[in-house]
Amino acid sequence: MNIVVFVKQVPDVPNIRIDEQRMTIIREGVESIINPLDCVALQASLELREREGGCITVISMGPPQSEEALREALAAGADQAILLTDSAFAGADTLATSHVLAMAVSKLQPFPDLLLCGMQTIDSDTGHVGPQIAEELDLPQVCGVNEIHMDGHLLVLKRLSEGFLDTIRVPLPALLTVSKDLCPVKNLSLGAVEAAFSQKDIIRWAAHDLGLQPDEVGLKGSATHVRKLRPPADRTGGRIVTGSPQFIVDALIHKLESMSILDEEDGNE
Amino acid sequence: MHLEPSMKQAVIRRTVRKFAETRLAPVAVEMDRTGLFPWDIAQEMADLNYFGLEIPAQYGGAGLETISYAIVIEEISRVNAAMGLCVAVHNGVSASPVYVFGTEKQRERFLVPLATGKKIGTFCLTEPNAGSDASSLETSAIRDGDNYILNGNKVFVTNGGISGINLVFAGIQTGEKGKKFSVCIVESEREGLEKGPTEELMGMRGNPVCPIVLHDCRIPLENLLGEEGEGLKIALTTLNGGRIGIAAQALGIAQGSLDVSLKYAKERNQFGKSISEFGAIQDFLADMATRIEAARLLIYRASDLKDKGINHVRESAMAKVYASEVAVDATRMGVQIHGGYGYTKAYPIERFYRDAKVCEIYEGTSEIQRMVIAKSLLNE
Ligand SMILES: Cc1cc2nc3c(=O)[nH]c(=O)nc-3n(C[C@H](O)[C@H](O)[C@H](O)COP(=O)(O)OP(=O)(O)OC[C@H]3O[C@@H](n4cnc5c(N)ncnc54)[C@H](O)[C@@H]3O)c2cc1C
Ligand SMILES: Cc1cc2nc3c(=O)[nH]c(=O)nc-3n(C[C@H](O)[C@H](O)[C@H](O)COP(=O)(O)OP(=O)(O)OC[C@H]3O[C@@H](n4cnc5c(N)ncnc54)[C@H](O)[C@@H]3O)c2cc1C
Repeated sequence: MNIVVFVKQVPDVPNIRIDEQRMTIIREGVESIINPLDCVALQASLELREREGGCITVISMGPPQSEEALREALAAGADQAILLTDSAFAGADTLATSHVLAMAVSKLQPFPDLLLCGMQTIDSDTGHVGPQIAEELDLPQVCGVNEIHMDGHLLVLKRLSEGFLDTIRVPLPALLTVSKDLCPVKNLSLGAVEAAFSQKDIIRWAAHDLGLQPDEVGLKGSATHVRKLRPPADRTGGRIVTGSPQFIVDALIHKLESMSILDEEDGNE
Repeated sequence: MHLEPSMKQAVIRRTVRKFAETRLAPVAVEMDRTGLFPWDIAQEMADLNYFGLEIPAQYGGAGLETISYAIVIEEISRVNAAMGLCVAVHNGVSASPVYVFGTEKQRERFLVPLATGKKIGTFCLTEPNAGSDASSLETSAIRDGDNYILNGNKVFVTNGGISGINLVFAGIQTGEKGKKFSVCIVESEREGLEKGPTEELMGMRGNPVCPIVLHDCRIPLENLLGEEGEGLKIALTTLNGGRIGIAAQALGIAQGSLDVSLKYAKERNQFGKSISEFGAIQDFLADMATRIEAARLLIYRASDLKDKGINHVRESAMAKVYASEVAVDATRMGVQIHGGYGYTKAYPIERFYRDAKVCEIYEGTSEIQRMVIAKSLLNE
């Protein structure tokens, strides 16, 4: 089974800072990591390869320094890595990102059996990219998968949706996005890290290698524009009321009333 | 001049930090308290190449260069210095000389089990009457047909309690009074090798440091590392590299102290504000960070020279003496920032303080490092 895993390099979360003037994430001096769910997808692919054989290709679109994420993926056990990098790709929204990733997959010979994405990233967090790649390539897609089995030629998947556990059968080729519960990610061996840097090559494709025109990609190929960008507000810790049950209930009702959340007339209906 | 870590070195640091924080930090207190070595975790480390850091892949190692090696030791020591010591000594002064000075046969027999973590290694130089003055060692080896017969007492053997392969420095008797300082590879199961009780150390208590006694211990001639009489050369070359490991270990302890002290300073309030707002606390933090950075650069400098095959005797000694003094000072400041709580076992800074001190002592005391540095200056 030939598998493609999409990996995105993201800033390490606790450090996210935003340049509010230029509306970009400040990446200088911030450590970058592989989006954690992409590591889960990669681990799942390693386990599938172990059982089914085949080859794992990791693909990332990003600036040249995304090479680091791809080398880390090679250290984890991927067979080959493709970096989609071109100044024309800069400023891509999720649609333009998905388009480039889909075009890269179309170029692979043979066409892969399984495409894996993280369910969402820890920086932009849209969860759009996987589904958009599937749409563009006209593949069946299942999002938020937390269990994968093979049953003959079908994939048997489980996922948690709105309190239900879905079991889904899907023919290949297909695209899945994975949740963190799929499998634990193993530690890297230091020898594998060394080998990933000293013995492996990264394949690099630019827009023209994919037959893409400049206006299809990056900012120009984007359907959306950012109006405002801000980091998530700090969570203000709650207040814990202690005392007798009667006291707690009274204090709570008083608080809700003072916030106009509980209206007395509604309450009497 | 590149002063930024390479992509690979960044990945190495991140990889080791994650492993150290998830696997080694949680057992640090227990190791310090009981002195028990966590074999299950050591097995995991073996599978991830932590026991063959600089050894080429063909012998089962990771094949890292020295800066990456220093990063690994730093990151382990940042959360668990006793394990950092185990890894630094095993790699730096046990596996490494077997690789550098061993024959192809010896590499197969001894290096592969060391590099793959099947056997833990030691470096047995110090004796009751031979500390800083290693040349006065009394352990003897007498040739008897196809064997050497070893007799002597080794003390303060790091990893002693858990070792499988020991590098024993001994004088091979030649004639009446003559001695050829040499290195013998002695497997722990050889008859006549006995391990004494674990030392009751002030710090690094998670490492089973113990004496090793050799009493008519026979080893075959092919267990001699290098030639007869090459012991001093092997010891000096090995310690030059080893000192980088100890410096990196000291750096890790210092960095760990800064990290926990920063966190504590932000959390602790007195006089209605965070103690991190007091100038005195800020001075501690600034001094710690500045000196840690200086120590790190000295270590990278010595490592870089070593990788380029350039003489680095002076730079290794500088890195070792400076980093170990930074560790002692940084942990002292760290305890001070923690106040009374720093003097209790409720916080790791107390352990860091105890662990740091020995960095000024082993693999050549600070006084000996300064002698080495001064000698190289005066001979220039
Ligand atoms: C400053 C800024 C401005 C932005 N402006 C816009 C905008 O105007 N409109 C808009 O739609 N989006 C915008 N984005 C989002 C940006 O386009 C996304 O970073 C990118 O398209 C991926 O989306 P995501 O991170 O939400 O991925 P998700 O859809 O959450 O990612 C899911 C999975 O898709 C895969 N994946 C995602 N990105 C890549 C990649 N580059 N290479 C390989 N695999 C990948 C990974 O497997 C990942 O786990 C902006 C982001 C930033 C930082
Ligand atoms: C926890 C621990 C682990 C160790 N692990 C190992 C190990 O794995 N293998 C090993 O071989 N050894 C090991 N050692 C031993 C260590 O290397 C020695 O303790 C060290 O070299 C000092 O020797 P000594 O203790 O005999 O002190 P001494 O040499 O007696 O020194 C006493 C004092 O005199 C000073 N001094 C000595 N000579 C001079 C001089 N010429 N000029 C100025 N001052 C001088 C010293 O600096 C020191 O302050 C370990 C020690 C400890 C505590």
